[in-house]
Amino acid sequence: MAKIIDAKGLACPQPVLLTKKALEEENTVTVIVDNEPAVVNITRLGKTIGCTLQTEKKEDGTFQIHLSREVGERTAAPLDVSCAAGPLVIVISSDRMGRGDDELGYVLIRSFIHTMLSLEPLPQTLIFYNTGVKLTAKDSEVLDDLKKIEESGVSILVCGTCANYFGISNNLAVGAISNMYDITSTMAGAGRLVVP
Amino acid sequence: MTDTEEYHVILFDSIHHALRSEKILKEAGIPHKLIPVPRHISSDCGICLRFTADLRIRIEDALTGKVEIREIRPL
Repeated sequence: MAKIIDAKGLACPQPVLLTKKALEEENTVTVIVDNEPAVVNITRLGKTIGCTLQTEKKEDGTFQIHLSREVGERTAAPLDVSCAAGPLVIVISSDRMGRGDDELGYVLIRSFIHTMLSLEPLPQTLIFYNTGVKLTAKDSEVLDDLKKIEESGVSILVCGTCANYFGISNNLAVGAISNMYDITSTMAGAGRLVVP
Repeated sequence: MTDTEEYHVILFDSIHHALRSEKILKEAGIPHKLIPVPRHISSDCGICLRFTADLRIRIEDALTGKVEIREIRPL
C-alpha cells in the first residue's frame, strides 16, 4: 500500500516538504493536493530523485500524484521549490546580455533567447524595451527563435516608444506593440522577473 | 527553417574563431545560426554555428584555411 499524504490546503512549500520526507521512508507515496503549483513542484521533486510519476485530476479539483521509486535508491536531492504566486516574466532590456563587451554581449543575448525555447515551463510574457526591441525587428538574427516562442503561447510585448525612437515601428516582425501601462503592470504582477 | 531539417554544427576551441567564422559566413551569404553548444556535445567555448546539412560543402569551402575549426558534426 502506498503511503497517502493529504496536502490539501497547505501553503507552498509544505506539500513538497511532506512528499520529500515521505519518500525518505517509503518507496511509493500518493500525495493529494489542491493547486497546480504544488503539482508542478512535486513533479519536479519526483523527477529529480528518479521516481516514476502518475498524476490524476479529480472531479473535485484536487490532484492525486502517485510517486514510486526503485527500491534501495535514496539519493539526496536538493529541493527545487518555486513558491512564486505570479507568472514568470522575462525582460529583454537590451540587445546585449551583460555589460562590458558589446560583441560578447550580442553573442550571449542570442544564446539566451535560443535557450529560452527549452525552458519548462516557458515564461508567460516576454517584454522588450530600450535596445532590446531591435531583436524583434525584421532583420533580427533571433527572429526564428522568437516566433517559435510566440507560437508556443508566450505573450511578447514590445515597447512602442522604443520602436519609435529607433525608427523601426514599421519593421517589427514578432510580438505586439505595447505601452508603459501594460509593461509596468505586467512587471509588477510577475511572480518572478528575469532580466538577463 | 523547421525542426525536421537535418542540422550540422561547427565546434570551435575559441569563441574568437566562432565569431570570425560567423563574419565570413555572413559576408558569403551562407545561412547559419549561432547557438549555445547543445548539452550532449562538449566544447570549451560554449557557442557553435548551426547550419542545414545541405550547406556543409559550401561552409567548409568558405572557412577552410581561414579559421581554426575543432569539428563539424551532425547535431
